[in-house]
Amino acid sequence: MSNVDATQNGAPRKLAWWRSEPAHRLLTFVLVGLVAAVVTGPEGTQSDYAYGLKQSVLKPRVFIYLALALGLWAAYEFGGRQGWGGHVSDQLKPLRAGLRQRANRRNVRIGYALLAIAAIVLPMGLSSFWQAVLVTEIGLYVLLALGLNVVVGFAGLLDLGYIAFYAIGAYLTAYFTGRLPITPPFQLNPFLILPLAVIAALAAGIILGAPTLRLRGDYLAIVTLGFGEIVYQFALIKTDVTGGSSGAFNIPHFSVNLAGVKYMWGLDPLPYYYLVLGFIILVVILFSRLEHSRVGRAWAAIREDEVAASAMGVWTLKYKLMAFAIGASTSGVAGVIYASNVSTVTPDGFLLQNSIIVLVLVIFGGMGSIWGVLLGAALLQYVPEALRDYVPPSDRFIYFGALLIVMMIFRPEGLLPSRRRKFEFALARTGLVEGDALTEPLGGPVAARSSE
Amino acid sequence: MCFSQNFWPLLVSGVENGAIYALIALGYTLVYGVLQLINFAHSEVFMSGAFGGLFVVQGVLGHSHTPSGLLSVGYIVLGTAAGAAAGGLAAFVLERVAYRPLRRRKAPPLAFLISAIGASFFALNLAGKEFGHNPVPVPALYTDGTVFSVFGAPVRLTYIIVVVAAIAMLIVLDRTIAKTRLGQGIRAVAQDAETASLMGVNIDRVIVATFVIGGMLGGAGGFLYGMAYNVQFNMGFFPGLKAFTAAVLGGIGNVRGAVLGGLMLGIVESLGVACLQVAWRDSISFVILVLVLMFRPTGLLGERLGRSA
Amino acid sequence: MRQRVMIKVGAPLVLGALALAGCGSSSSGTKSGSGSSSAAGGGGKTFTIACQGPLTGDNAQLGINICDGAKLAIDQANKTGGLPFTLKYNAVDDLGTAAGGPVAAQKIIGDSSVMAVVGPAFSGATQASESFFTQANLASITASATKPSLTDAKNGFKTFFRAVANDNAQGNGAAAYIAAKLKAKKVYSIDDAEAYGQGLSKVFEAALQSKNIPFVHDSVPQGTKQYEPAAGKVVQSGADVVYYSGYYADAGPLLKALKAGGFKGTFMSDDGAKDPNLIKLAGTANAEGTFLTCPCVDAAQNPSSASFVSAYKAAFNADPGTYSAEAYDAANAVISAMKGIGASVDRAKVVDAVRNLDYTGITKTIKFQSSGELASTAVYLYEVKNGAITYLGPVDKLATS
Repeated sequence: MSNVDATQNGAPRKLAWWRSEPAHRLLTFVLVGLVAAVVTGPEGTQSDYAYGLKQSVLKPRVFIYLALALGLWAAYEFGGRQGWGGHVSDQLKPLRAGLRQRANRRNVRIGYALLAIAAIVLPMGLSSFWQAVLVTEIGLYVLLALGLNVVVGFAGLLDLGYIAFYAIGAYLTAYFTGRLPITPPFQLNPFLILPLAVIAALAAGIILGAPTLRLRGDYLAIVTLGFGEIVYQFALIKTDVTGGSSGAFNIPHFSVNLAGVKYMWGLDPLPYYYLVLGFIILVVILFSRLEHSRVGRAWAAIREDEVAASAMGVWTLKYKLMAFAIGASTSGVAGVIYASNVSTVTPDGFLLQNSIIVLVLVIFGGMGSIWGVLLGAALLQYVPEALRDYVPPSDRFIYFGALLIVMMIFRPEGLLPSRRRKFEFALARTGLVEGDALTEPLGGPVAARSSE
Repeated sequence: MCFSQNFWPLLVSGVENGAIYALIALGYTLVYGVLQLINFAHSEVFMSGAFGGLFVVQGVLGHSHTPSGLLSVGYIVLGTAAGAAAGGLAAFVLERVAYRPLRRRKAPPLAFLISAIGASFFALNLAGKEFGHNPVPVPALYTDGTVFSVFGAPVRLTYIIVVVAAIAMLIVLDRTIAKTRLGQGIRAVAQDAETASLMGVNIDRVIVATFVIGGMLGGAGGFLYGMAYNVQFNMGFFPGLKAFTAAVLGGIGNVRGAVLGGLMLGIVESLGVACLQVAWRDSISFVILVLVLMFRPTGLLGERLGRSA
Repeated sequence: MRQRVMIKVGAPLVLGALALAGCGSSSSGTKSGSGSSSAAGGGGKTFTIACQGPLTGDNAQLGINICDGAKLAIDQANKTGGLPFTLKYNAVDDLGTAAGGPVAAQKIIGDSSVMAVVGPAFSGATQASESFFTQANLASITASATKPSLTDAKNGFKTFFRAVANDNAQGNGAAAYIAAKLKAKKVYSIDDAEAYGQGLSKVFEAALQSKNIPFVHDSVPQGTKQYEPAAGKVVQSGADVVYYSGYYADAGPLLKALKAGGFKGTFMSDDGAKDPNLIKLAGTANAEGTFLTCPCVDAAQNPSSASFVSAYKAAFNADPGTYSAEAYDAANAVISAMKGIGASVDRAKVVDAVRNLDYTGITKTIKFQSSGELASTAVYLYEVKNGAITYLGPVDKLATS
């Protein structure tokens, strides 16, 4: 690449015009314009594979895209570069600094209270579609992402089979409400299944973690991925236990019948939203306390340098197991709510893709940061639903994929990275310290420095 | 044992599967060797190769007749080459779009994971939109049939083609890495990027080359796979998952390990399904993986690309 | 440098946004009304028929087949006129999963112009969605969800109709034919580990059991592609009939692997496999003599089905696929029900009209029992002869004659 050559050899070299940066940018703009034309173009057909491409690139509409690309390029090259979005975050700096100054304990409390009130009141005005999205797509996935954040963000363990614990919670609910082919010893209200799910997922987390947690980074990732697949296959194939791919259905809703208070959750999504919201608030409080406790510091130590942490007397296996178990139990709780809310449990809700999505949510939001994960998960889960109204439904995930790439280029550290993570990240970038497996840049610190 | 009766036929089909796993696993392992990253979009590179080969073969051959003799060989080589070209191109574009900008910004590895997942979503769904969702058979390039038997196990022509092509490519790759200047560069970066860059190795160029080589192998594997089975927009997912497993099994980052892991996985799966329902195949391979990693935490042959190639 | 990268990527965002804005204006602007309140509509003269199915993911093709079939029916109805209202079409993606069901159902219900739903496509999604449709008193007619228990009264799905025979009819019919005509000594029953395949194979195996025919059960997940191990097991078992419960995309390669592996017996499959692509994927020679059961009458017996195929091709640039014709019929049935009501359509009236429907489409006569099941659940047998799927007749008659 031109600019690398230039910087590596000290003095900038004179380059031919077609190797100059503006020319490169022009090419990039045009290519992106063409890709956009294809993505928004008509569908292809299997009798002529080039049909879709031809219709998008050879029709006049392509000129709109090319003109846009050229216009944007010209605006960038000849217009003021300062106005280009890139500095939005810089412009926000004084605002943020002001906020931080004013953020004394009382104001923070008021802020949280306002946030909670907004979370309670605002959904009332939404259509039932958006309320349903808030429960099944956003709320439950926020809960899952918060749990995985403990594993990935706090303890630095890469888990690609996280959805298995969600499945365990959901199938446990089906079991204890008598909706599986095997009959339970007694039937329970979903509320009473919650603690059982916590215990079951916790146990599953420990059973999976104990033999595998001595594995490092990517090896752990593939083993957890395998665990997730095995749980999925079990649900799919053992029809006499799990009901196979048609699963369990008619799972009863949550209900309360205590001391004269009688309430039954039903098809209306709003009460479920409040239930999920309650758990999210609970989890946020628990986890933020945990993060700043002795346990949280042990996790940070393990994440940053496991060998050093262990030399300093941190019992690494214990804390890693703990992270695994806490993450798993959060997922188990989410599984119970899911089963009861959707009232149908089928294996196709627990695919590897779902595990990957949860991981994406955590990193997108800023791993290690509870508020980042909360915001990121909500935002990212909202996108495919919002796209329903604007693009052909079968194309939704093309845009979703593009969004992920764009986001990681703009903000590789995530939407709202935690302060500690940001610091680690910055340190690793300057090459002053070796980051942990999850923050160290490619090719080691020096390679990163050399291409600056 | 449950597979003792038809051990040889199962072994033959296991070797064929294993050869394809090995080809894809190399793409994972090469990229891992130099970047210490799992390339999550490699399965879409595989799919691109299959479509590339399919288009060229369909374009040249049409749907009409089945060639024979040397002509068949020519078509197979052509399709495989087209698959390799498409795979290499896809990997090149992938590196440019989803990896290089992040590398420039010194993003943490998990950000690469997410951008690769994004690229995978993008490519998968775009391929579905452009090329349809139905599986498509590659036009028959030769008349399949049993060529010879090993202990009573029929060995089909398809198997021979896949295995021979895989072996040929593996030898070329092994020599490239061991003997050429580019191979030296790849090994140097894999072993110690810092020193390599001080010694004048252009890391950017080595990374691109690694992606393209891995992509070509994956793309060629994609075409061979498509020829043996069929071509579909989501065809990359399962072979990709298995190849990833195979790469880890052999020791990720280790070229010979990937080949060994691929073959072992193919054979174990093939023998394993004789005992259980076929549906348990994936679980069998993951159980094997866990067992191996318990005793050898960095895979069968250990992990560095630089050390053993 | 930072700026540069941002621009590189900023451009597609801006372009994308513009494109979205462009598409947005043309796509159906759904009104999010008060939602679950029953029976809205009236007033305006535009009504919507929604389609719910998997439009993304591995099973997207089935959803697309179904929704395109429905769309064709709606477009044709609008064009030929004679309707006292204008119809709109809206496809809603439920990913084919139970988890996607409620959200998709809420999306449909929330649009108060929706008067009926074609779908949901899959049984899992149907289970998760139907309570919402019942609550909103919105008729939903599936063209493909065949799990028998969906019409059980205890589910309380009051507005669910199934315009396709359920697994019971087909599984029993296939088993009867295998027993009486093929005189199988041993049957190898394979399912695709999907709801449809597992359900059908369960019924089929129960029917075999009652006829005292020994069988082996195996499961090969959809999308496996490599069928050699399965084929090896079949040959090893010495079975003379293989029944595959699943779709053609998997049945084709399985059949090819079976023949390559030396299987000499008869291959039989279901309506999901009754597709010309089966022959393409398996190879013409391999597919010869394959039997297919289907609860659909032969296309050639109905002249209007030829025009359906050509119209479908013209509209979507592709041949109609599995369930396209069934969905076309389901949508046409809904349209004829709505036509009978007149200009003032509402959801409750549509449910009543669908319940009393008697409509003859290109695949079958659509007339519902009180449970929502089809009145006639005849299953027909087809055979691949000379590279084409040929109609043989009703399977019950063939088995007893």
